[in-house]
Amino acid sequence: MSTIATPGGPVRRLAGLLYRRPYLRLAGLLSAPLLWLVVAYLGALAALFAAAFWTTDVFTGEVVRQFNLGNFQELWSQGVYRTITLRSVGVAVAVTVVDGVIAFPMAFYMAKIASPRAQRWLVIAVLTPLWASYLVKAYAWRVMFSGTGVLNWVLDPFGIHGPGYGLPATVVTLAYLWLPYMILPLYAGLERLPNSLLDASGDLGARTFRTVIWPVAFPAVIAGSIFTFSLSLGDYITVKIVGGKSQLIGNVVYDNVGAANNLPFAAAVATIPVAVMVIYLVAVRRTGALDNL
Amino acid sequence: MNQMNTEEPGVSAAVTLRGLRKTFGEVTAVDDVDLEIRDGEFFAMLGPSGSGKTTVLRMIAGFETPTSGEVRLGDRVVTKLPPFERDVNTVFQDYALFPHMNVLANVEYGLKVKKVGKKERRERALQALRSVRLEGFDGRRPGQLSGGQRQRVALARALVNRPKVLLLDEPLGALDLKLREEMQVELKAIQREVGITFLFVTHDQEEALTMSDRVAVFNAGRIEQVGTPAEVYEKPASAFVAGFVGTSNLIEGEAAQSILGRPGVYSVRPEKLRVETDLDAKLPEGEHSATGTVAEVVYAGAATRFVVDLDAGGRLVALQQNLQSSSMDVLKLREARVRLVWRREHEFAIPGPT
Amino acid sequence: MRPTRLALVAVAAVSLLAAGCGGKSGGSHHGGTDAAGFTPPKIAALSSLGQGEGQVNLVSWAGYVEDGSNNKALDWVHPFEQQTGCKVNNKVAGTSDEMLSLMKTGQYDAVSASGDASLRLIASGTVAPVNTSLVPNYADIFPDLKNKPWNSVDGKMYGIPHGRGANTLMYRTDKVNPAPDSWSVVFDPNSPYKGHITAYDSPIYIADAALYLSATQPALGIKDPYALDQKQFDAAVNLLKEQKKIVGEYWSDATKTQQSFKSGDTLLGTTWQVIANGLMGEKAPVQTVLPKEGATGWSDTWMVAAKAQHPNCAYKWFDWVVSPKVNAQIAESWGEAPANSKACALTADKKFCDTYHAADAPYWTKVHYWNTPIAQCLDGRKDVTCVDYSKWTQAWTQIKG
Repeated sequence: MSTIATPGGPVRRLAGLLYRRPYLRLAGLLSAPLLWLVVAYLGALAALFAAAFWTTDVFTGEVVRQFNLGNFQELWSQGVYRTITLRSVGVAVAVTVVDGVIAFPMAFYMAKIASPRAQRWLVIAVLTPLWASYLVKAYAWRVMFSGTGVLNWVLDPFGIHGPGYGLPATVVTLAYLWLPYMILPLYAGLERLPNSLLDASGDLGARTFRTVIWPVAFPAVIAGSIFTFSLSLGDYITVKIVGGKSQLIGNVVYDNVGAANNLPFAAAVATIPVAVMVIYLVAVRRTGALDNL
Repeated sequence: MNQMNTEEPGVSAAVTLRGLRKTFGEVTAVDDVDLEIRDGEFFAMLGPSGSGKTTVLRMIAGFETPTSGEVRLGDRVVTKLPPFERDVNTVFQDYALFPHMNVLANVEYGLKVKKVGKKERRERALQALRSVRLEGFDGRRPGQLSGGQRQRVALARALVNRPKVLLLDEPLGALDLKLREEMQVELKAIQREVGITFLFVTHDQEEALTMSDRVAVFNAGRIEQVGTPAEVYEKPASAFVAGFVGTSNLIEGEAAQSILGRPGVYSVRPEKLRVETDLDAKLPEGEHSATGTVAEVVYAGAATRFVVDLDAGGRLVALQQNLQSSSMDVLKLREARVRLVWRREHEFAIPGPT
Repeated sequence: MRPTRLALVAVAAVSLLAAGCGGKSGGSHHGGTDAAGFTPPKIAALSSLGQGEGQVNLVSWAGYVEDGSNNKALDWVHPFEQQTGCKVNNKVAGTSDEMLSLMKTGQYDAVSASGDASLRLIASGTVAPVNTSLVPNYADIFPDLKNKPWNSVDGKMYGIPHGRGANTLMYRTDKVNPAPDSWSVVFDPNSPYKGHITAYDSPIYIADAALYLSATQPALGIKDPYALDQKQFDAAVNLLKEQKKIVGEYWSDATKTQQSFKSGDTLLGTTWQVIANGLMGEKAPVQTVLPKEGATGWSDTWMVAAKAQHPNCAYKWFDWVVSPKVNAQIAESWGEAPANSKACALTADKKFCDTYHAADAPYWTKVHYWNTPIAQCLDGRKDVTCVDYSKWTQAWTQIKG
């Protein structure tokens, strides 16, 4: 008892102080992550937006820090950027839909049908591909999509020829890469859905999926789609590997940063996916999907 | 207690179970259950967790298919029918209200699926909410309700469909004591009002005894006894029932021989025992007694519980009203020599092995 | 609480995305001033070689400075350190731009610069001229690598050339008949190999088209594929837009193009010799050719920083990397033609120099080494403005569509 009663060393005194001052406690808990959020995330984002209004001096290659709408005018006037944006959004939507369609039954099985033991193994199985290198997986798909690859070997007996390299291959590969990001939120969402709710719905009628499962799981679908959509929208490597001769927004950014050293223009291009995501989130909010969270 | 155990001619069965079995892999959850529940009865299925009572309920509801046997609702065999094609509705232990719908939409759900017209649907739903005393709550979300209110919504949602039988799975299990006691009374009242069969599952013997017309006591997948609360409590058909419904208080083996003068297993309820400190007083006619030492005294306000180690072997619990004694008096009896006395008609022979 | 959490996740996702897109900070230079007209800052070359300073800090392309840590067989750093007492600290750069910004920090002594960076280094005064008399092995370097526009100004050498390569035309010998001798097979809209053609995925590939046009459309007057005025540039871009219709895919890394050639998805297109060698090693039926129009290529040069803190060790390093044995080793491991003429006798593969045309002077006259296009025409024209590299990049985006 005596050891507890004695006001101990500095650690104990600090603990006491924190106990008496909840504000200090909160500050200690949050200051580091907040600093990280503000400086690293928001700061980088702000710098990106600012840079988008600058230009690069053609002669010296230096960035000219002077407000200028030239980059955005270029983006607007050149039809090619609109085409690329639409294509990128189309790919992201396609990937999200494909992932949703594949992930939903899988997540449902994991959360509601499989035994707890099988559930654990399935979660591990879903997570395992995330440990493998992105490039290895993308290249594996490249080999499969080859004219002499597995895909054609399977399809040829049916008289069908695989799509080869191009946007379909890009969508398939991205859908594969991001599938765990759709399955896991869905799994978490469906797991929270009580079994009794399914029983209750079965008890009262037969339209369980549309009226009960889907509305309850919808926020999880949205969470998953935010991942698959944004990850697809920003990707530029997969399309390089299996996309044949197509390009997406990410490639334009990459080319302008890496090859052309035109950082301001790259920043201007990079605002496109940010804007698309903001629109997406606002649209999601409007559907009311976030109200039931 | 308006129903008797004996079969009354003219009262038809609402639910009939014949040879019902359910196995999950290696485990037999329900083993050869036969049961008849009468129309308009408030029937309890009582048992410890894992005794198979909930599985039986789920087979009646249609959430599980029996491995073998038959489920009949009225005259209809429904063994293989999906839940929504049976004339029953269920109130779930966790209420299972749809979180994304408001109270009214929850209650209307079943009618909507059955394509009942909008006007009638609304009327019946509001009527159902009135019957569970929840007027004015129709616009709320389940998340904004208290446990008792959710319980009522779940009840209204089931009742609005006018089922022949209402199934309740541990309906009061999630409520606190005070609310539970209120709801016990209210459930009885509602059942009397709507006049349909209520079949509920519980592990709480007191709840089963207070609320139901008849009780089926489950153990290890089988029914040990079916009867009115009084029968089950005072004439337990097995040692298990004696132990599960109330305190077991068994006199068996040599103790039975020396105290009662005959072999077997006998049960006496604690409140039937009288604790006497005068060991030599004359025993009235028709009474039995046993001497022993008080091992423990538990003062519980209205009554005191004495745990007595019998000289003849075994241990009995006696419950005494604190009519005059105070806690100080009764506590002095610890380790005292006492005599337990009871009337002979209160000891019941328990059939079968213990 | 929960909507807040989701919003946070969303913000994080968007921010990550943004970071992913715009994450690589630039700030380095490109462009510089034109070769024909500019006067570099007056910086004196080292007059005499003194004692080594004990260490040297290098910036290099991956694979140029190997100490055996990647592959035990490849180690030319440790022998150098033992011989000279100069400890080597190396920093690998991924792009020419990165090299430039690293050199401008003033912390490095020497850099292995490509043609698209070297002029910028010279013009900005970041590197000093090299006193070639202090590099004995310089004497054995092929004459056609000395005093070139990308490594010298006014006859003053700014670096030691150490290797070069060409972007040749590779084809599947079993599928492509007859064997091509012209880039026309990859530019002709009616090419029989439509859909199986590959092209290098970089704005610099516009130079390949310009080179082809310089031979096929002399009226355009293209003299240097890196110095294109607007009209010439538009012609090259149009050619590439047409070419896209027959291209199967663009390539930017070796693994990808090798796999494509091997599977037969790609039958012909531009390549590097090292890629072809890899395929031939796997018995894939491929062959390379330097088409009659010539080809683009690269030539790398070791340069010394103007403010080098360890110039003596840097000079010793230069002499070391172009010494016959080491030069042969580097060239062979990296897959390029060595700069030292005596290196050819010391390669492990005796036919190496033949394969890479190391001593084949006429071959190299047809190779146009990579250079950075800038507004001041590199070919010396004063009456027009040339299209700079940032426009090349945007055009490349347009070409790919």
